[in-house]
Parts: sequence; structure tokens; C-alpha cells
Amino acid sequence: MDEQLQEDWLDRRLREEMVYIDDAGFTARVVQSLPPARRLHSYRALILLGVTLLASIVTYLASDGGRFLVVAAYRLAAMPVLFVSLVAICCTLVMTAAAASAAWTNDRRIR
Amino acid sequence: MPLNDADLVARVLVDDDHHAFAELVRNHQSAVRGLLRQLTRSDLALADDLAQETFLRAYKNIRSFRGEAKFSTWLYRIAYNCFREEARKRKELVGIDESQLEAEQDPQTVDPALRHDLMQALQLLPLHERSAILLCCQNGLSHDEAARVLEIPLGTVKTNVLRGREKLKKTLAAWSTT
Repeated sequence: MDEQLQEDWLDRRLREEMVYIDDAGFTARVVQSLPPARRLHSYRALILLGVTLLASIVTYLASDGGRFLVVAAYRLAAMPVLFVSLVAICCTLVMTAAAASAAWTNDRRIR
Repeated sequence: MPLNDADLVARVLVDDDHHAFAELVRNHQSAVRGLLRQLTRSDLALADDLAQETFLRAYKNIRSFRGEAKFSTWLYRIAYNCFREEARKRKELVGIDESQLEAEQDPQTVDPALRHDLMQALQLLPLHERSAILLCCQNGLSHDEAARVLEIPLGTVKTNVLRGREKLKKTLAAWSTT
């Protein structure tokens, strides 16, 4: 028999021997043996919320009942419209760039 | 639409999603268990224990899967490592078993019934050749992928496949002409 034909025959036989093995509860056994799923996301949200609340309270108390907000609002109202618009546009650009960068980094990590 | 391996891995990574991991197990259990059955010479209970250990390790170390190779290749590597550790424990580590080698060199000493059974013939091969043949010829891995799984040089894989194939052809010569 030709060498190549013999090799083809051998490879074909080997592949034919690779029969599908029925799951028969194997997946369920594996899943049962896994450690419990992490609850990191809910904890993370709680921690962030708690820290934000605490920081808000400290800031309110340390700033004479939030008086600085009233002062800042007066100053903002006295500013030229063009300047306020420029600041708003700059803030939008910075936030968009940060979000795009975070999304890109996450995508690379996952892939 | 069914999710591919990359999507399922992403779900496990981001949400620690057990359902996604179960889907990965379902997709690959047959190939992994099949490979381990061949490596353990059809010891079904041991092969299934090792397969379970393989998937458990895969779950625990899924962050180390960088997606450079196929998920199945990464799983085969874990499975092969599990098998090697078990073999070490049982003192049956890789190496040419003398009695097997003798049987190999003299085909007349092989039980004629074995010639009609490819799986039996495979089991006569030394482990390093059997592993290479199983991965490349049966599971369809490239030589490069098999080298990664077995953690040996590419040239060694090619040599092992070639030698294993030659021995199989010799052992099964009579059968292949029918």
C-alpha cells in the first residue's frame, strides 16, 4: 500500500476512534465542585456608596454647612457664558477619553 | 445564538458566571475525557477524576488564560499536567516501558487480536509517542499546539509523531491492507 494512503488510513481510523463521550452528569459534578461565585460586585458597590456618603458628610460639616457651594454658584453665575461653555466642553472631552480608555483596556484584558 | 469560547471565558472572568463555565465544560468534556482515557489506558474512573480536576484547575486559573492559544489547547495542557502528576504519584512516569519496547520490536510477540484493535495498538506505544499521536492525529492539534501542551520542543513532537505513526503502521500493517 502506498505510504501516503497508509498514513491517511491511519489518521482516519484514529479520528473515527474518537467517539463522543456522553456527558452523563459529568458537567453537573464539575459545577458542584466549583468554589462559590464571588460576590465582589455587590460589595464593591456598597463600599463605594458608603465612602461617597461619608465624604459628603465630612465635606458638608467642614465647609460651614455647604456655604462654599452658594459662593461657587454666585461666582459661576457671574462668569462669562463663553468661558463656562469652554469649561463644559473640556470636561466632556476628558470624561469621554477616560471612558474610552477604560473600555479599551477592559476589552484587551478580556480578549 | 450559542456563545463561543472567548465569550464564555469573558463571562467567567467578569461575572464569575458558573453557567458560562458549565457551558465550557459541556463543550469540551468529551475531548478532555477522551484524551485522558487514552492516556490512562482506558481507566475510566481515573480518567474522569483527572478530567474533573482539569476543569476545576481551569476554573481557578482562568485568569492565566491569555487567549494566545485555543481554549481547548489550554485545557489539554492542564489535563496532561494532571495526568503527569498522577503518573508520578503512581510511579508510572513517562519513559519507555521495557516490556512494551520488546513487544514493539518484535511484532510477532504481540497478540494477533491486538492488530485488529487500533486502541490496543496505541496503548503499546510509549507515553511520549502516544500523547503526541493522540493530540496531533486524533484531536487535530498542530505540532506547534501539541508542543505547547506537552511542554517539549517542536522538533521532539514531530519526531514522536513520526515514530509513533511508524510503529502503529508496523503493528497494524496486516489490518491496513484488508
